[in-house]
Amino acid sequence: MQKLANPKLFLRLADMVRPWVLGATIVLLVLGLYLAIVQAPQDYQQGETVRIMFVHVPAAWMALFVYSFMALAHGAGLVFRHPIAHIAAKAAAPIGACFTFLALATGSLWGKPMWGTWWVWDARLTSMFVLFLLYLGYLAVWSAFGEDNRAARIASVVALVGFINVPIVKFSVDWWNSLHQPASVLRAGGPSIDSSLLTPLFIMALAYAGLFVTLWLLAMKAEVLTRRIHQMQVAQAGEA
Amino acid sequence: MDFSAPHVGFVIAAYVISALVLIGLAARIGLVLKARQRELKLLEERKSPRRRAPR
Repeated sequence: MQKLANPKLFLRLADMVRPWVLGATIVLLVLGLYLAIVQAPQDYQQGETVRIMFVHVPAAWMALFVYSFMALAHGAGLVFRHPIAHIAAKAAAPIGACFTFLALATGSLWGKPMWGTWWVWDARLTSMFVLFLLYLGYLAVWSAFGEDNRAARIASVVALVGFINVPIVKFSVDWWNSLHQPASVLRAGGPSIDSSLLTPLFIMALAYAGLFVTLWLLAMKAEVLTRRIHQMQVAQAGEA
Repeated sequence: MDFSAPHVGFVIAAYVISALVLIGLAARIGLVLKARQRELKLLEERKSPRRRAPR
């Protein structure tokens, strides 16, 4: 792990791994969409609207996973003082924000025909909205303070304090009365969904995870190059 | 999928918005990376003639 903190080695490994992850992501995405749109049966209550679940649930899972990853990376950055850990978190943030937006938007598109409303301020929806605001706040910190150590420290605080919201999102449907249905996949006693719907859901979730890894590796490369450019500019200004 | 079923427009909208956001995100990251690679190449080109000058 310590060796990977070397940006050059990390980029070399990332360049090797990325085409394989991208290939697997494309295969999973095509298979997942085929199963989700063509093969999966209608739900006896929701009808065709159940197909929204195949893009909504993976986006929501990834939104929570990416934020947890960011908090972990910042934690590692503070403990081991590896700048690449902070860069890893920064590169993941816009991707996580997009997944959170998609979870909110597709959830809203499901809510209108099923609940009769686009939005309610219930525990799950509100905590998910707070997660989206945390992502935006986190990105605003990097945007306001540039790429120095101060920005990394403040962003670490935002990520680590905001991590409190992750279990709140997960357990909000258990802790409070919520219009949102309780957990039906990641729950004690196993999933309560039929395998004809569960299989495409898991494949789409894997495709979203693969997409995250591919985009994160590209974003990491861009971040490392940004720092290298900054160092070269400073060195050239010193020479001049 | 039955395209004549009720609420099918919501399903299509969910898939279209997901595709647009994810493609847009991928395009943005790709463009930023290309710009950085171009910028780095320019800086290296600007730097290299000075190194070769003493020869």
